[in-house]
Amino acid sequence: MSGDAIVRLSGVGKVYGDPAHGLVVLRAVDVAIARGEFVGLVGASGSGKTTMMNILGCLDRPTTGTYALAGEDVSKLDDDRLSDLRNRAIGFVFQSFQLIPELTVRENVELPLGYVRGARATRAKRRARAEELLASVGLAQRLGHKPAQLSGGECQRVAIARALANEPALILADEPTGNLDTKSGEDVMQILFGLHAAGRTIVMVTHNPEIAARLPRVVAMGDGRVVRDGPPRKLAGSAAIGAEEAS
Amino acid sequence: MGLDALFDLLRLGFENLLRNKLRSFLTMLGMIFGVGSVIAMLSVGAGARKEILERIQSLGITNIIVNSVKPPAETKTETQAEQRWMDKYGLTFDDRELLDATCPSIDRVLPVNLVKQPVWRGSRRVDASVFGVLPEHLAMFHLEAGRGRVFNELDAVECKQVCLVRQGLVDELQLLEDPIGARVNVGRESFEIVGVLADQAFRSHTQKALAIDGRTQEVYVPYTTSMRTFGTMTFVQKAGSEERTMVELDQMIVVAKSADLVRPTARIIANVLERSHKRKDYEIVVPLELLQQSERTQAVFNAVMLVIAAISLLVGGIGIANIMLATITERTREIGVRRAMGARRRDILLQFLTETATIGVVGGLFGCLFGLAAIRAVVLYTGWQAVIEPHFVIVALAISGGVAILAGLYPARRAAAMDPIGALRYQ
Repeated sequence: MSGDAIVRLSGVGKVYGDPAHGLVVLRAVDVAIARGEFVGLVGASGSGKTTMMNILGCLDRPTTGTYALAGEDVSKLDDDRLSDLRNRAIGFVFQSFQLIPELTVRENVELPLGYVRGARATRAKRRARAEELLASVGLAQRLGHKPAQLSGGECQRVAIARALANEPALILADEPTGNLDTKSGEDVMQILFGLHAAGRTIVMVTHNPEIAARLPRVVAMGDGRVVRDGPPRKLAGSAAIGAEEAS
Repeated sequence: MGLDALFDLLRLGFENLLRNKLRSFLTMLGMIFGVGSVIAMLSVGAGARKEILERIQSLGITNIIVNSVKPPAETKTETQAEQRWMDKYGLTFDDRELLDATCPSIDRVLPVNLVKQPVWRGSRRVDASVFGVLPEHLAMFHLEAGRGRVFNELDAVECKQVCLVRQGLVDELQLLEDPIGARVNVGRESFEIVGVLADQAFRSHTQKALAIDGRTQEVYVPYTTSMRTFGTMTFVQKAGSEERTMVELDQMIVVAKSADLVRPTARIIANVLERSHKRKDYEIVVPLELLQQSERTQAVFNAVMLVIAAISLLVGGIGIANIMLATITERTREIGVRRAMGARRRDILLQFLTETATIGVVGGLFGCLFGLAAIRAVVLYTGWQAVIEPHFVIVALAISGGVAILAGLYPARRAAAMDPIGALRYQ
């Protein structure tokens, strides 16, 4: 696993404010995620999940330690290079979808394609790519709609299509089913399982124990540390543990 | 940045503009007034410059006009021949000869004789200004016949009693038949109308410079005829008394050899006349100096207009900055999403700058329309001239775009500096 790690956090710590007296959110976190893994990130509120996701998503930098994404140490990259990395290597799926309401579904999916450096596709190609992705999540008929005209489940599918726009090495999903009903949540999970089956690397924050229990690997956070790391069943020999961790 | 990316930015700018039409329009208002003022200022300024140029053309760039004027403190002179009191003042034939002889920069001197006699047609009387001028005077001041002909050298040599009139005089005298060939009286002398001038009238400034009195009509007769027929003395009866004046030369049009020599020649004329005229009974009008004086006045006017336009643009810019700050707060989450999707700070900066520039340029376009309408109104109600050049529109659009970009710089920088995590969480 560690030999083909797409994500490698080594002794990552995060302190907000003064490093000596500030608020410590992450403490010497060591996590390695191999290419193609589907990892659940669980833990109580304030355990450091969100900060870890921010660091994994190159939205934030660790105070100490190193973070290597696809072999590249991103801890010291400047803001522009972090932006480029987010654009080409990371796909975000947020709990609240984070679609731009003024743009159509297709324009939302095109968004990451417009920020590609160097080999930026033409508008026609970007449109075609967006249409292809939206078709793959079953929204080929909704291209010209605005997010307000879509259901929550559809919005999240748009967000997944957008996350896949640049064929990212890592997909970060922050409670993607948190705002959805059971049926829509299950649809979204099926899409994510499908992506995993297709070889995508996914890290997903979830508070849902049932979902956590279905994941091949769960990293449980507590007080800024990794408290457990492994398959949910193996961790405690019961599916219920997944629920315990997730809570 | 590629053309494709630039096009995307512009498209985004226009889409955002159209998304909130009323707000966009209100944001643009300051820019509309500012650009309108700039366009109006440039056009009215150019119109004024054109008018000034026309003035100098109408008066002649190489001309110096010397007028006889009645001095404030009159001195009465008794002529031996008539034993009567007579006012004698103004330019003399000697002055003309002296200037011609002593000043090498003078090309020629054209005399003008003003005949202070009313024009009659039957019982109809019109108080017109009757000028005795040389035929070349007519060409110099663009006095062309619209109908008939102007008088020529032959008429002058033969001292023919012919005259040129304006259409206004024809109307006032109520000449029902063809005026060409009709006869009118100047004082008691009969003159044949040989031509009607093409233009309606001189402009007021030309009238003033040429010392044309307040009378509305002008009549031109050959100089030689006027001298032989009317001479240099004028008798005007007023309320029981008779006013007698003697002016040898009412006016001299001194033509310098070149425009560069106008000022030195004017100085020489002033020096020469100062010696022979102890009383200030003449005035020297230099069209070139009139032009420069007008230009100075115009420069002050332009500066005032420029300040007004600048204030309007400043207010417009502040309005744009204000609205953009509100827009950026409103669109904080969008900024966060774009940053998460890979937008660099520079992309966000450019996006918002393009939006403000779009507001500026579109506002500028509306401002141009407003300016054109304002110019039309100004021309209509004041009679001023205005000249609209295509580059005024380009200048106005560039200024509006520039002001908008400056106004949008701070809000755009603020947007670009946003922390993506905070922006994504913004409620």
